[in-house]
Amino acid sequence: MIPAVPHLVAGLDFPPIGELLNWKNIGPGGFNKTALIDVLAVALTLGLFFHAARRKAMVPRGTQNIAESLIEFVNGQIIMETMGADGLGYLPFILAIFCFVFLCNIFEIIPIFQFPADARMANPLVLALIVWGVYNYAGIKRQGFRAYVRNSTIPPGVPGFLVPLVAVIEGAQRFLLNPLTLAIRLFANMLAGHLLLVTFALMADALFFHNTVTATIPIGVLPVLMEIVIIIFEVLIAVLQAFIFAILTGVYLGPSLHPEH
Amino acid sequence: MIDALQAASNVNIGTKEVQKAGQSIGAGIAYGAAAIGPGVGIGIVVGNAITAMARQPESAGVARTTMFLGIAFTEALALIGFVVAILVLFVG
Amino acid sequence: MLFAAGLVAATQKVDCSAAGISCQNAQSKNPILPTVPEIVWGTLAFVVLFVVLWKLALPPLVKLMRDRTERIANDLSSAEQARVEAQQTLEDYKRELAEARSEASHILDEARQAAEQVRQDLMARAEAEAAELRARNDSALQAAQERVLGELEGQVREVALDLAEKVVGANLDRDTNLALIDRFIDELNAGPTSDAGAALQ
Repeated sequence: MIPAVPHLVAGLDFPPIGELLNWKNIGPGGFNKTALIDVLAVALTLGLFFHAARRKAMVPRGTQNIAESLIEFVNGQIIMETMGADGLGYLPFILAIFCFVFLCNIFEIIPIFQFPADARMANPLVLALIVWGVYNYAGIKRQGFRAYVRNSTIPPGVPGFLVPLVAVIEGAQRFLLNPLTLAIRLFANMLAGHLLLVTFALMADALFFHNTVTATIPIGVLPVLMEIVIIIFEVLIAVLQAFIFAILTGVYLGPSLHPEH
Repeated sequence: MIDALQAASNVNIGTKEVQKAGQSIGAGIAYGAAAIGPGVGIGIVVGNAITAMARQPESAGVARTTMFLGIAFTEALALIGFVVAILVLFVG
Repeated sequence: MLFAAGLVAATQKVDCSAAGISCQNAQSKNPILPTVPEIVWGTLAFVVLFVVLWKLALPPLVKLMRDRTERIANDLSSAEQARVEAQQTLEDYKRELAEARSEASHILDEARQAAEQVRQDLMARAEAEAAELRARNDSALQAAQERVLGELEGQVREVALDLAEKVVGANLDRDTNLALIDRFIDELNAGPTSDAGAALQ
Protein backbone atom coordinates (compact mmCIF):
# COMPACT_ATOMS: atom_id res chain seq x y z
CA MET A 1 0.00 0.00 0.00
CA ILE A 2 1.02 3.53 -0.63
CA PRO A 3 1.67 4.94 2.77
CA ALA A 4 0.67 7.87 4.53
CA VAL A 5 1.04 10.91 2.44
CA PRO A 6 0.82 13.22 5.40
CA HIS A 7 -2.51 14.58 4.36
CA LEU A 8 -4.62 16.93 6.34
CA VAL A 9 -7.70 14.79 6.47
CA ALA A 10 -6.29 11.55 7.64
CA GLY A 11 -9.70 10.14 8.39
CA LEU A 12 -11.15 10.62 4.89
CA ASP A 13 -12.48 7.35 3.60
CA PHE A 14 -13.54 7.76 0.02
CA PRO A 15 -15.28 4.56 -0.96
CA PRO A 16 -14.81 2.94 -4.38
CA ILE A 17 -17.10 4.71 -6.75
CA GLY A 18 -19.10 1.57 -7.50
CA GLU A 19 -20.28 1.59 -3.93
CA LEU A 20 -21.73 5.07 -4.25
CA LEU A 21 -23.98 3.92 -7.03
CA ASN A 22 -24.87 0.29 -6.52
CA TRP A 23 -27.48 -0.21 -3.87
CA LYS A 24 -28.40 -3.41 -2.15
CA ASN A 25 -31.77 -4.91 -2.81
CA ILE A 26 -34.57 -3.84 -0.50
CA GLY A 27 -37.28 -5.84 -2.18
CA PRO A 28 -37.92 -8.68 -4.57
CA GLY A 29 -36.81 -8.60 -8.18
CA GLY A 30 -33.73 -6.49 -7.63
CA PHE A 31 -35.80 -3.65 -6.17
CA ASN A 32 -33.17 -1.28 -4.87
CA LYS A 33 -32.92 2.42 -4.09
CA THR A 34 -32.81 3.38 -7.76
CA ALA A 35 -35.99 1.43 -8.46
CA LEU A 36 -37.61 2.94 -5.36
CA ILE A 37 -36.83 6.42 -6.61
CA ASP A 38 -38.25 5.50 -10.04
CA VAL A 39 -41.47 4.30 -8.43
CA LEU A 40 -41.67 7.37 -6.21
CA ALA A 41 -41.18 9.65 -9.19
CA VAL A 42 -44.03 7.92 -11.00
CA ALA A 43 -46.25 8.06 -7.92
CA LEU A 44 -45.55 11.75 -7.30
CA THR A 45 -46.20 12.72 -10.91
CA LEU A 46 -49.41 10.74 -11.16
CA GLY A 47 -50.50 11.96 -7.74
CA LEU A 48 -49.97 15.54 -8.80
CA PHE A 49 -51.94 15.18 -12.01
CA PHE A 50 -54.78 13.15 -10.53
CA HIS A 51 -55.10 15.53 -7.63
CA ALA A 52 -55.08 18.44 -10.05
CA ALA A 53 -57.77 16.91 -12.25
CA ARG A 54 -59.98 16.22 -9.24
CA ARG A 55 -61.09 19.76 -8.48
CA LYS A 56 -61.76 21.24 -11.88
CA ALA A 57 -61.93 24.79 -10.64
CA MET A 58 -62.28 27.54 -13.18
CA VAL A 59 -59.56 29.50 -11.40
CA PRO A 60 -56.70 27.05 -10.78
CA ARG A 61 -55.12 26.87 -7.33
CA GLY A 62 -52.61 24.59 -5.63
CA THR A 63 -51.81 21.37 -7.45
CA GLN A 64 -54.10 22.29 -10.31
CA ASN A 65 -52.08 25.43 -10.84
CA ILE A 66 -48.81 23.46 -10.82
CA ALA A 67 -50.15 20.84 -13.21
CA GLU A 68 -51.58 23.42 -15.60
CA SER A 69 -48.37 25.45 -15.51
CA LEU A 70 -46.46 22.29 -16.40
CA ILE A 71 -48.77 21.58 -19.30
CA GLU A 72 -48.53 25.17 -20.50
CA PHE A 73 -44.76 25.07 -20.15
CA VAL A 74 -44.38 21.85 -22.12
CA ASN A 75 -46.80 23.04 -24.78
CA GLY A 76 -45.38 26.52 -25.13
CA GLN A 77 -41.69 26.23 -24.38
CA ILE A 78 -40.90 22.77 -25.68
CA ILE A 79 -43.41 21.53 -28.23
CA MET A 80 -44.25 24.78 -29.99
CA GLU A 81 -40.58 25.79 -30.08
CA THR A 82 -39.34 22.55 -31.60
CA MET A 83 -42.19 20.77 -33.36
CA GLY A 84 -44.87 23.36 -34.01
CA ALA A 85 -48.60 22.93 -33.62
CA ASP A 86 -48.86 19.39 -35.02
CA GLY A 87 -46.53 18.16 -32.27
CA LEU A 88 -49.09 19.03 -29.59
CA GLY A 89 -50.26 15.40 -29.60
CA TYR A 90 -46.92 14.46 -28.05
CA LEU A 91 -47.79 16.39 -24.88
CA PRO A 92 -48.27 13.27 -22.68
CA PHE A 93 -44.98 11.77 -23.84
CA ILE A 94 -42.87 14.88 -23.34
CA LEU A 95 -44.63 15.77 -20.12
CA ALA A 96 -43.95 12.27 -18.79
CA ILE A 97 -40.29 12.56 -19.75
CA PHE A 98 -39.93 15.98 -18.17
CA CYS A 99 -41.60 15.02 -14.90
CA PHE A 100 -39.88 11.65 -14.64
CA VAL A 101 -36.40 13.00 -15.32
CA PHE A 102 -36.88 15.97 -13.04
CA LEU A 103 -38.16 13.94 -10.10
CA CYS A 104 -35.47 11.28 -10.53
CA ASN A 105 -32.91 14.10 -10.54
CA ILE A 106 -34.24 16.07 -7.62
CA PHE A 107 -34.00 13.07 -5.27
CA GLU A 108 -30.29 13.94 -5.37
CA ILE A 109 -30.80 16.60 -2.72
CA ILE A 110 -33.74 15.18 -0.79
CA PRO A 111 -32.58 13.90 2.59
CA ILE A 112 -32.66 10.15 3.23
CA PHE A 113 -32.59 9.43 -0.51
CA GLN A 114 -29.83 11.78 -1.63
CA PHE A 115 -29.28 9.93 -4.83
CA PRO A 116 -30.36 10.82 -8.36
CA ALA A 117 -31.80 7.76 -10.04
CA ASP A 118 -30.45 9.16 -13.29
CA ALA A 119 -26.91 8.72 -11.99
CA ARG A 120 -27.35 5.06 -12.86
CA MET A 121 -27.09 4.47 -16.58
CA ALA A 122 -30.32 2.44 -16.53
CA ASN A 123 -32.79 5.33 -16.47
CA PRO A 124 -31.20 7.60 -19.06
CA LEU A 125 -30.52 4.65 -21.33
CA VAL A 126 -34.09 3.40 -21.13
CA LEU A 127 -35.48 6.88 -21.72
CA ALA A 128 -33.13 7.57 -24.60
CA LEU A 129 -33.99 4.26 -26.24
CA ILE A 130 -37.70 4.96 -25.86
CA VAL A 131 -37.21 8.42 -27.35
CA TRP A 132 -35.17 6.87 -30.17
CA GLY A 133 -37.93 4.37 -30.84
CA VAL A 134 -40.63 7.03 -30.75
CA TYR A 135 -38.95 9.46 -33.11
CA ASN A 136 -38.03 6.78 -35.60
CA TYR A 137 -41.52 5.31 -35.44
CA ALA A 138 -43.06 8.73 -35.89
CA GLY A 139 -40.80 9.44 -38.88
CA ILE A 140 -41.50 6.13 -40.57
CA LYS A 141 -45.20 6.47 -39.94
CA ARG A 142 -45.33 10.03 -41.24
CA GLN A 143 -42.98 9.74 -44.22
CA GLY A 144 -42.66 6.06 -45.04
CA PHE A 145 -39.51 4.06 -44.38
CA ARG A 146 -37.47 4.92 -47.48
CA ALA A 147 -38.33 8.61 -47.47
CA TYR A 148 -37.61 8.84 -43.76
CA VAL A 149 -34.18 7.25 -44.07
CA ARG A 150 -33.36 9.43 -47.06
CA ASN A 151 -34.57 12.62 -45.37
CA SER A 152 -32.67 11.95 -42.20
CA THR A 153 -29.40 11.00 -43.86
CA ILE A 154 -29.21 13.44 -46.79
CA PRO A 155 -29.93 17.05 -45.90
CA PRO A 156 -31.20 19.21 -48.79
CA GLY A 157 -28.67 21.21 -50.78
CA VAL A 158 -25.63 18.97 -50.39
CA PRO A 159 -23.41 18.77 -53.48
CA GLY A 160 -23.33 15.33 -55.11
CA PHE A 161 -19.78 14.30 -54.34
CA LEU A 162 -20.28 14.97 -50.63
CA VAL A 163 -23.44 12.88 -50.34
CA PRO A 164 -21.81 9.61 -49.20
CA LEU A 165 -19.76 11.33 -46.52
CA VAL A 166 -22.64 13.48 -45.29
CA ALA A 167 -24.99 10.52 -45.35
CA VAL A 168 -22.68 8.50 -43.12
CA ILE A 169 -22.21 11.35 -40.67
CA GLU A 170 -25.87 12.34 -40.60
CA GLY A 171 -27.04 8.76 -40.36
CA ALA A 172 -24.68 7.98 -37.52
CA GLN A 173 -25.77 11.17 -35.84
CA ARG A 174 -29.47 10.48 -36.11
CA PHE A 175 -29.59 6.75 -35.54
CA LEU A 176 -26.68 6.17 -33.19
CA LEU A 177 -25.20 9.25 -31.58
CA ASN A 178 -28.36 11.18 -30.77
CA PRO A 179 -29.75 8.61 -28.32
CA LEU A 180 -26.28 7.88 -26.97
CA THR A 181 -25.44 11.51 -26.23
CA LEU A 182 -28.95 12.03 -24.92
CA ALA A 183 -28.41 9.26 -22.38
CA ILE A 184 -24.82 10.10 -21.53
CA ARG A 185 -25.51 13.80 -21.06
CA LEU A 186 -28.11 13.15 -18.41
CA PHE A 187 -26.26 10.29 -16.79
CA ALA A 188 -22.90 12.05 -16.61
CA ASN A 189 -24.39 15.30 -15.35
CA MET A 190 -26.16 13.54 -12.53
CA LEU A 191 -23.22 11.28 -11.72
CA ALA A 192 -20.86 14.26 -11.60
CA GLY A 193 -23.24 16.19 -9.38
CA HIS A 194 -23.66 13.25 -7.08
CA LEU A 195 -19.90 12.70 -6.80
CA LEU A 196 -19.40 16.38 -6.08
CA LEU A 197 -21.95 16.26 -3.28
CA VAL A 198 -20.46 13.04 -1.88
CA THR A 199 -16.94 14.41 -2.00
CA PHE A 200 -17.71 17.50 0.00
CA ALA A 201 -19.98 15.66 2.40
CA LEU A 202 -17.23 13.12 3.09
CA MET A 203 -14.69 15.89 3.50
CA ALA A 204 -16.85 17.62 6.05
CA ASP A 205 -17.46 14.30 7.77
CA ALA A 206 -13.77 13.52 7.88
CA LEU A 207 -12.79 16.94 9.14
CA PHE A 208 -15.42 17.06 11.85
CA PHE A 209 -15.67 13.49 13.09
CA HIS A 210 -12.59 11.54 12.02
CA ASN A 211 -10.01 14.22 12.48
CA THR A 212 -6.88 13.32 14.43
CA VAL A 213 -5.59 16.88 14.45
CA THR A 214 -7.88 18.86 16.72
CA ALA A 215 -6.72 22.25 15.46
CA THR A 216 -7.99 21.55 11.96
CA ILE A 217 -11.57 20.68 12.96
CA PRO A 218 -12.98 24.19 12.20
CA ILE A 219 -11.78 23.85 8.61
CA GLY A 220 -14.72 21.49 8.21
CA VAL A 221 -16.95 24.57 7.86
CA LEU A 222 -15.50 25.19 4.39
CA PRO A 223 -16.73 21.96 2.74
CA VAL A 224 -20.09 22.46 4.44
CA LEU A 225 -20.43 25.89 2.85
CA MET A 226 -19.31 24.44 -0.46
CA GLU A 227 -21.87 21.68 -0.08
CA ILE A 228 -24.65 24.25 0.33
CA VAL A 229 -23.54 26.07 -2.80
CA ILE A 230 -23.41 22.81 -4.72
CA ILE A 231 -26.85 21.79 -3.51
CA ILE A 232 -28.32 25.00 -4.88
CA PHE A 233 -26.38 24.46 -8.10
CA GLU A 234 -27.66 20.90 -8.34
CA VAL A 235 -31.27 22.03 -8.07
CA LEU A 236 -30.62 24.19 -11.09
CA ILE A 237 -28.90 21.30 -12.87
CA ALA A 238 -31.81 18.97 -12.09
CA VAL A 239 -34.32 21.34 -13.67
CA LEU A 240 -32.06 22.20 -16.56
CA GLN A 241 -31.25 18.60 -17.44
CA ALA A 242 -34.93 17.64 -17.35
CA PHE A 243 -35.69 20.61 -19.61
CA ILE A 244 -32.85 19.75 -21.97
CA PHE A 245 -33.84 16.10 -22.15
CA ALA A 246 -37.42 17.07 -22.94
CA ILE A 247 -36.53 19.75 -25.47
CA LEU A 248 -34.03 17.46 -27.20
CA THR A 249 -36.77 14.88 -27.49
CA GLY A 250 -38.75 17.57 -29.27
CA VAL A 251 -35.78 18.52 -31.41
CA TYR A 252 -35.29 14.90 -32.48
CA LEU A 253 -39.00 14.49 -33.13
CA GLY A 254 -39.10 17.66 -35.24
CA PRO A 255 -37.48 16.25 -38.41
CA SER A 256 -39.69 13.17 -38.13
CA LEU A 257 -42.75 15.37 -38.45
CA HIS A 258 -41.36 17.99 -40.83
CA PRO A 259 -38.88 16.36 -43.22
CA GLU A 260 -37.99 19.63 -45.00
CA HIS A 261 -35.79 20.98 -42.25
CA MET B 1 11.80 4.96 -11.85
CA ILE B 2 9.70 2.48 -10.01
CA ASP B 3 12.82 1.30 -8.27
CA ALA B 4 13.64 4.85 -7.30
CA LEU B 5 10.13 5.41 -5.99
CA GLN B 6 10.30 2.13 -4.12
CA ALA B 7 13.53 3.08 -2.56
CA ALA B 8 12.30 6.52 -1.61
CA SER B 9 9.00 5.43 -0.15
CA ASN B 10 10.25 2.27 1.41
CA VAL B 11 7.12 0.48 0.19
CA ASN B 12 6.74 -2.45 -2.14
CA ILE B 13 5.22 -1.18 -5.40
CA GLY B 14 3.73 -3.88 -7.56
CA THR B 15 2.16 -3.87 -11.00
CA LYS B 16 -1.23 -3.15 -9.49
CA GLU B 17 -0.05 0.07 -8.00
CA VAL B 18 1.63 1.04 -11.24
CA GLN B 19 -1.59 0.32 -13.11
CA LYS B 20 -3.50 2.42 -10.60
CA ALA B 21 -1.09 5.28 -11.04
CA GLY B 22 -1.37 5.05 -14.82
CA GLN B 23 -5.15 4.97 -14.59
CA SER B 24 -5.20 8.03 -12.38
CA ILE B 25 -2.93 9.99 -14.71
CA GLY B 26 -4.90 8.83 -17.74
CA ALA B 27 -8.21 9.75 -16.18
CA GLY B 28 -6.93 13.17 -15.24
CA ILE B 29 -5.63 13.82 -18.74
CA ALA B 30 -8.79 12.43 -20.34
CA TYR B 31 -11.11 14.66 -18.41
CA GLY B 32 -8.82 17.68 -18.48
CA ALA B 33 -8.40 17.51 -22.24
CA ALA B 34 -12.08 16.81 -22.79
CA ALA B 35 -13.03 19.87 -20.79
CA ILE B 36 -10.97 22.37 -22.81
CA GLY B 37 -13.05 22.41 -25.97
CA PRO B 38 -16.48 22.47 -24.35
CA GLY B 39 -15.27 25.12 -21.93
CA VAL B 40 -14.36 27.44 -24.79
CA GLY B 41 -17.44 26.35 -26.73
CA ILE B 42 -19.91 27.07 -23.94
CA GLY B 43 -18.28 30.45 -23.47
CA ILE B 44 -18.82 31.26 -27.14
CA VAL B 45 -22.40 29.97 -27.10
CA VAL B 46 -23.42 31.93 -24.02
CA GLY B 47 -21.56 35.04 -25.10
CA ASN B 48 -23.26 35.11 -28.47
CA ALA B 49 -26.61 34.34 -26.87
CA ILE B 50 -26.17 37.33 -24.57
CA THR B 51 -25.23 39.51 -27.54
CA ALA B 52 -28.36 38.33 -29.32
CA MET B 53 -30.54 38.99 -26.29
CA ALA B 54 -29.05 42.44 -25.82
CA ARG B 55 -29.59 43.31 -29.48
CA GLN B 56 -33.11 41.96 -29.67
CA PRO B 57 -34.63 41.74 -26.21
CA GLU B 58 -38.02 40.95 -27.74
CA SER B 59 -36.71 37.59 -29.01
CA ALA B 60 -34.80 36.78 -25.80
CA GLY B 61 -36.97 33.73 -25.18
CA VAL B 62 -35.96 32.05 -28.41
CA ALA B 63 -32.33 32.97 -27.85
CA ARG B 64 -32.42 31.50 -24.35
CA THR B 65 -33.92 28.21 -25.49
CA THR B 66 -31.42 27.94 -28.30
CA MET B 67 -28.63 28.81 -25.90
CA PHE B 68 -29.57 25.93 -23.61
CA LEU B 69 -29.67 23.61 -26.60
CA GLY B 70 -26.24 24.78 -27.70
CA ILE B 71 -24.89 24.35 -24.18
CA ALA B 72 -26.36 20.84 -24.07
CA PHE B 73 -24.75 19.82 -27.35
CA THR B 74 -21.40 21.34 -26.42
CA GLU B 75 -21.43 20.03 -22.89
CA ALA B 76 -22.05 16.48 -24.12
CA LEU B 77 -18.41 16.28 -25.22
CA ALA B 78 -17.14 17.20 -21.78
CA LEU B 79 -19.49 14.71 -20.21
CA ILE B 80 -18.33 11.96 -22.53
CA GLY B 81 -14.81 12.87 -21.41
CA PHE B 82 -15.97 12.57 -17.81
CA VAL B 83 -17.45 9.16 -18.45
CA VAL B 84 -14.30 8.02 -20.21
CA ALA B 85 -12.25 9.25 -17.24
CA ILE B 86 -14.39 7.24 -14.86
CA LEU B 87 -14.13 4.22 -17.11
CA VAL B 88 -10.37 4.55 -17.23
CA LEU B 89 -10.12 5.10 -13.51
CA PHE B 90 -12.45 2.48 -12.14
CA VAL B 91 -13.05 -0.14 -14.80
CA GLY B 92 -10.39 -2.61 -15.88
CA MET C 1 -5.36 20.98 -1.08
CA LEU C 2 -8.33 19.36 0.57
CA PHE C 3 -9.47 18.18 -2.77
CA ALA C 4 -6.05 16.74 -3.58
CA ALA C 5 -6.12 14.88 -0.31
CA GLY C 6 -9.55 13.59 -1.16
CA LEU C 7 -8.38 12.34 -4.52
CA VAL C 8 -5.35 10.67 -2.99
CA ALA C 9 -7.65 8.93 -0.58
CA ALA C 10 -10.05 8.06 -3.35
CA THR C 11 -7.50 5.91 -5.11
CA GLN C 12 -6.92 3.81 -2.07
CA LYS C 13 -8.92 0.83 -1.15
CA VAL C 14 -10.85 1.52 1.98
CA ASP C 15 -13.30 -0.31 4.14
CA CYS C 16 -16.89 0.16 3.27
CA SER C 17 -18.24 1.89 6.32
CA ALA C 18 -18.46 5.45 5.14
CA ALA C 19 -21.85 7.09 4.92
CA GLY C 20 -23.80 3.90 5.37
CA ILE C 21 -23.09 2.67 1.89
CA SER C 22 -23.87 -0.84 0.87
CA CYS C 23 -20.75 -2.81 0.32
CA GLN C 24 -21.44 -6.19 -1.11
CA ASN C 25 -18.89 -7.11 -3.77
CA ALA C 26 -17.96 -3.47 -4.08
CA GLN C 27 -15.09 -3.97 -6.45
CA SER C 28 -17.06 -6.05 -8.88
CA LYS C 29 -19.65 -3.34 -9.35
CA ASN C 30 -19.34 -1.16 -12.37
CA PRO C 31 -20.07 2.54 -11.96
CA ILE C 32 -21.32 2.95 -15.48
CA LEU C 33 -23.02 -0.15 -16.78
CA PRO C 34 -26.58 -0.52 -15.55
CA THR C 35 -27.82 -3.67 -13.91
CA VAL C 36 -30.67 -5.62 -15.45
CA PRO C 37 -33.15 -5.10 -12.59
CA GLU C 38 -32.62 -1.36 -12.78
CA ILE C 39 -33.34 -1.37 -16.50
CA VAL C 40 -36.48 -3.41 -15.92
CA TRP C 41 -37.71 -1.20 -13.11
CA GLY C 42 -36.88 1.96 -15.00
CA THR C 43 -38.69 0.80 -18.13
CA LEU C 44 -41.67 -0.35 -16.12
CA ALA C 45 -41.85 2.90 -14.19
CA PHE C 46 -41.66 5.11 -17.23
CA VAL C 47 -44.09 3.08 -19.29
CA VAL C 48 -46.62 3.05 -16.47
CA LEU C 49 -46.18 6.78 -15.97
CA PHE C 50 -46.57 7.54 -19.65
CA VAL C 51 -49.58 5.31 -20.24
CA VAL C 52 -51.48 6.42 -17.15
CA LEU C 53 -50.68 10.05 -17.83
CA TRP C 54 -51.73 9.67 -21.46
CA LYS C 55 -54.92 7.71 -20.97
CA LEU C 56 -56.20 8.73 -17.55
CA ALA C 57 -54.61 11.73 -15.90
CA LEU C 58 -54.19 14.24 -18.68
CA PRO C 59 -57.41 14.13 -20.73
CA PRO C 60 -59.66 15.73 -18.09
CA LEU C 61 -57.09 18.42 -17.36
CA VAL C 62 -56.48 19.20 -21.01
CA LYS C 63 -60.21 19.26 -21.64
CA LEU C 64 -60.68 21.59 -18.69
CA MET C 65 -58.00 23.91 -19.99
CA ARG C 66 -59.44 23.87 -23.51
CA ASP C 67 -62.91 24.61 -22.15
CA ARG C 68 -61.54 27.48 -20.17
CA THR C 69 -59.70 28.84 -23.18
CA GLU C 70 -62.88 28.65 -25.21
CA ARG C 71 -64.91 30.25 -22.48
CA ILE C 72 -62.44 33.06 -22.07
CA ALA C 73 -62.39 33.54 -25.84
CA ASN C 74 -66.19 33.64 -25.85
CA ASP C 75 -66.23 36.06 -22.95
CA LEU C 76 -63.74 38.24 -24.69
CA SER C 77 -65.61 38.25 -27.96
CA SER C 78 -68.92 38.96 -26.27
CA ALA C 79 -67.28 41.73 -24.27
CA GLU C 80 -65.91 43.11 -27.51
CA GLN C 81 -69.35 42.89 -29.03
CA ALA C 82 -70.89 44.64 -26.05
CA ARG C 83 -68.23 47.31 -26.30
CA VAL C 84 -68.96 47.83 -29.98
CA GLU C 85 -72.67 48.02 -29.24
CA ALA C 86 -72.10 50.52 -26.46
CA GLN C 87 -69.95 52.56 -28.79
CA GLN C 88 -72.69 52.43 -31.40
CA THR C 89 -75.31 53.54 -28.88
CA LEU C 90 -73.08 56.31 -27.67
CA GLU C 91 -72.56 57.54 -31.22
CA ASP C 92 -76.30 57.37 -31.85
CA TYR C 93 -76.95 59.42 -28.77
CA LYS C 94 -74.31 61.90 -29.71
CA ARG C 95 -75.69 62.24 -33.19
CA GLU C 96 -79.23 62.64 -31.90
CA LEU C 97 -78.07 65.21 -29.40
CA ALA C 98 -76.32 67.15 -32.15
CA GLU C 99 -79.39 66.95 -34.31
CA ALA C 100 -81.60 68.15 -31.48
CA ARG C 101 -79.21 70.96 -30.80
CA SER C 102 -79.15 72.11 -34.41
CA GLU C 103 -82.92 71.74 -34.56
CA ALA C 104 -83.28 73.91 -31.49
CA SER C 105 -81.02 76.59 -32.88
CA HIS C 106 -82.89 76.40 -36.15
CA ILE C 107 -86.21 76.86 -34.36
CA LEU C 108 -84.74 79.70 -32.39
CA ASP C 109 -83.59 81.37 -35.59
CA GLU C 110 -86.96 80.94 -37.14
CA ALA C 111 -88.64 82.33 -34.09
CA ARG C 112 -86.28 85.23 -34.11
CA GLN C 113 -86.97 85.87 -37.77
CA ALA C 114 -90.70 85.59 -37.20
CA ALA C 115 -90.49 88.00 -34.33
CA GLU C 116 -88.51 90.39 -36.48
CA GLN C 117 -91.10 90.05 -39.19
CA VAL C 118 -93.88 90.71 -36.75
CA ARG C 119 -92.03 93.67 -35.37
CA GLN C 120 -91.47 95.11 -38.81
CA ASP C 121 -95.10 94.50 -39.75
CA LEU C 122 -96.26 96.17 -36.61
CA MET C 123 -93.95 99.07 -37.20
CA ALA C 124 -95.13 99.43 -40.76
CA ARG C 125 -98.74 99.25 -39.77
CA ALA C 126 -98.23 101.72 -36.99
CA GLU C 127 -96.47 104.08 -39.31
CA ALA C 128 -99.18 103.71 -41.90
CA GLU C 129 -101.83 104.32 -39.31
CA ALA C 130 -99.92 107.26 -38.05
CA ALA C 131 -99.61 108.63 -41.57
CA GLU C 132 -103.31 108.06 -42.22
CA LEU C 133 -104.15 109.67 -38.95
CA ARG C 134 -101.97 112.57 -39.77
CA ALA C 135 -103.53 112.84 -43.21
CA ARG C 136 -107.02 112.65 -41.73
CA ASN C 137 -106.11 115.27 -39.19
CA ASP C 138 -104.79 117.49 -41.90
CA SER C 139 -107.92 117.21 -44.03
CA ALA C 140 -110.16 117.69 -41.00
CA LEU C 141 -108.20 120.73 -40.08
CA GLN C 142 -108.45 122.05 -43.59
CA ALA C 143 -112.18 121.43 -43.66
CA ALA C 144 -112.56 123.10 -40.34
CA GLN C 145 -110.53 126.01 -41.56
CA GLU C 146 -112.55 126.27 -44.71
CA ARG C 147 -115.77 126.04 -42.79
CA VAL C 148 -114.58 128.60 -40.33
CA LEU C 149 -113.44 130.78 -43.15
CA GLY C 150 -116.79 130.32 -44.91
CA GLU C 151 -118.66 131.14 -41.73
CA LEU C 152 -116.42 134.04 -41.12
CA GLU C 153 -117.00 135.27 -44.65
CA GLY C 154 -120.73 135.05 -44.16
CA GLN C 155 -120.59 136.82 -40.88
CA VAL C 156 -118.27 139.47 -42.21
CA ARG C 157 -120.63 140.04 -45.07
CA GLU C 158 -123.59 140.28 -42.74
CA VAL C 159 -121.73 142.54 -40.40
CA ALA C 160 -120.47 144.63 -43.25
CA LEU C 161 -123.97 144.93 -44.67
CA ASP C 162 -125.45 145.81 -41.33
CA LEU C 163 -122.72 148.26 -40.80
CA ALA C 164 -123.19 149.75 -44.21
CA GLU C 165 -126.95 149.96 -43.72
CA LYS C 166 -126.43 151.64 -40.43
CA VAL C 167 -123.88 153.99 -41.91
CA VAL C 168 -125.79 154.79 -45.04
CA GLY C 169 -129.04 154.72 -43.15
CA ALA C 170 -130.84 153.91 -46.22
CA ASN C 171 -132.04 150.67 -47.25
CA LEU C 172 -130.16 150.23 -50.46
CA ASP C 173 -130.93 147.76 -53.01
CA ARG C 174 -130.07 144.69 -51.14
CA ASP C 175 -128.81 142.56 -53.99
CA THR C 176 -126.67 145.29 -55.36
CA ASN C 177 -125.19 145.87 -52.00
CA LEU C 178 -124.46 142.24 -51.42
CA ALA C 179 -122.65 142.00 -54.71
CA LEU C 180 -120.67 145.03 -53.78
CA ILE C 181 -119.69 143.49 -50.46
CA ASP C 182 -118.72 140.23 -52.07
CA ARG C 183 -116.37 142.12 -54.31
CA PHE C 184 -114.97 143.90 -51.33
CA ILE C 185 -114.41 140.66 -49.50
CA ASP C 186 -112.78 139.15 -52.51
CA GLU C 187 -110.45 142.08 -52.66
CA LEU C 188 -109.87 141.70 -49.01
CA ASN C 189 -108.97 138.06 -49.44
CA ALA C 190 -106.71 138.70 -52.38
CA GLY C 191 -104.94 141.64 -50.77
CA PRO C 192 -101.72 140.67 -49.15
CA THR C 193 -101.99 143.20 -46.40
CA SER C 194 -105.53 142.36 -45.54
CA ASP C 195 -105.98 142.30 -41.75
CA ALA C 196 -108.93 139.94 -41.87
CA GLY C 197 -107.07 137.42 -44.08
CA ALA C 198 -103.98 137.56 -41.84
CA ALA C 199 -106.03 137.02 -38.71
CA LEU C 200 -107.80 134.06 -40.20
CA GLN C 201 -104.65 132.31 -41.26
